[in-house]
Amino acid sequence: MNIEFFDTNVFIGRPMNGVFKPVVTATELISEMHRQKISKSIVWHIFQYEGSPMEGNKMLANQISPYDALYGSWTVLPPQTGEIIRENFFEEMKKNKIAGINMFPEWHAFLLNKITMGDFLSELSERKIPLFLTKGRACISWESLYALMKDFPDIVCVLCDIGIWGVDRYTWPLLEKFPNMYIETSLLSLEEGGLEAAVNKFGADRFVFGTGFPLRYQKAAILQLLHADISEEAKRKIAYGNFERIMKETKL
Amino acid sequence: MKHTGYLIEKFIKDGKVPECPVYDMHGHMGNFSRIHFPMGNASPEIMRERFDKAGVKMLVFCHHWTLFSPDIGNEANISTVRKLPDRLRAYCGLNPNYPEIIQKDVDEFEKYEDVFVGFKMLADYHQLPITHKNYSAAWKYADKKKLLVLLHTWGNSPMDGHEQVRKVAEKYHNARILMGHSCHGEWDKTIELMKDFPNVYAELCAVTDERGVLEKIVAEAGSKKILFGTDWPWFNHHYYIGSVLDAGLSDDALHNIFHRNAEKLLKPLVKNL
Repeated sequence: MNIEFFDTNVFIGRPMNGVFKPVVTATELISEMHRQKISKSIVWHIFQYEGSPMEGNKMLANQISPYDALYGSWTVLPPQTGEIIRENFFEEMKKNKIAGINMFPEWHAFLLNKITMGDFLSELSERKIPLFLTKGRACISWESLYALMKDFPDIVCVLCDIGIWGVDRYTWPLLEKFPNMYIETSLLSLEEGGLEAAVNKFGADRFVFGTGFPLRYQKAAILQLLHADISEEAKRKIAYGNFERIMKETKL
Repeated sequence: MKHTGYLIEKFIKDGKVPECPVYDMHGHMGNFSRIHFPMGNASPEIMRERFDKAGVKMLVFCHHWTLFSPDIGNEANISTVRKLPDRLRAYCGLNPNYPEIIQKDVDEFEKYEDVFVGFKMLADYHQLPITHKNYSAAWKYADKKKLLVLLHTWGNSPMDGHEQVRKVAEKYHNARILMGHSCHGEWDKTIELMKDFPNVYAELCAVTDERGVLEKIVAEAGSKKILFGTDWPWFNHHYYIGSVLDAGLSDDALHNIFHRNAEKLLKPLVKNL
């Protein structure tokens, strides 16, 4: 079966505390993608999280600019401080091939809610720009995520790195209530039968392929999806089609 | 032997490779209060189907209910293995808070040679260290009979960290001590234990969640004392097989990890393997 992959969960750069096998540059990432037969990736730079979202966003844009196969995800902070979100922000996103937004409210010391980000989140909802959140680092509690989705039920939210222990009891209510809630599959694939059970219950349209590279092995998620007990059409949607559709629906 | 890519291509294409069967040496069974397991209550037929799909020849497990309910105990293991005897073996589960049950299980161990290949200790959960006297009867028996002892091991744990593993390995030279999760996070200590004791093995469940660790262990301790394991039904076989395949190891190392090392350990304990 020849399936095209779009990896929605990759970072580049050296983390401050080190990892065994970092992928420092976009050029290195492209080489890995060729090896794994991954066609496209959404990328962010680890410095966006660990050091400076402002500088990290610039580093990311510079890294990905030569490569058609790479799109970026920029990190934002509350608009009140004017550090990231300024006039022409969305035009800048388009100009720099930025296909999504990520936020790490717990690490970056703000509350991701209506008071802090209401207008911006409304605009993300209207423009259907995907918001990437993660359970894999200091980002957002389940309670805050539930409250966010309640206040912004139309927002396109991609939840990444859902956890090593299965979290169906947390994610299934969100999938049930919010049609634009998506699960990135790198750790759903880890759960035995997890992807199959979720696809059977909610349909294949709600899941986007990701690997968690370079922290995790890309072939782990690839091999699981290729041999999952779901239809070939479902595999193609998850591997590539769903995020391509999300990008087509985005208004930048 | 070189890395030829043959195994990767075959697993990608077919999901399994008949000449490279997989032995999962760290599994569980049954549902569990803290997580929804889609495959927690899988029937023997479903299990066989799942195992066949990934080329898993045998799963060695300890039932969740054995580990978390002294009232149920090892009956859960016995009845499950006997429903799928060609594909399952169990570790006799031990809870050191009930030494009288441990003694009974040790006394009756021989009655279940079609079921058990050794013992399982989950000390971090049962909150008594693997060195505790309440485990002694089982350790002595495992040492005498050269049985497998699968330990849950975790870095820096006062219950089953590297220091505790060293203590039991110094005392029991014949028991085959499997470090479940390989003293997770304390990789240098894992490697030291593998090198210092011929009867101490690393097991990969939760190890390949972090890209690069397996490469380090193989580079420093070789591939002959590494066992494949997944905590099934927690984790998916193809996911873990894919992570091992992606580590850039030689074909020889992959064969060792997926089946040869386990076959050597299980052959004396499983008839007609």
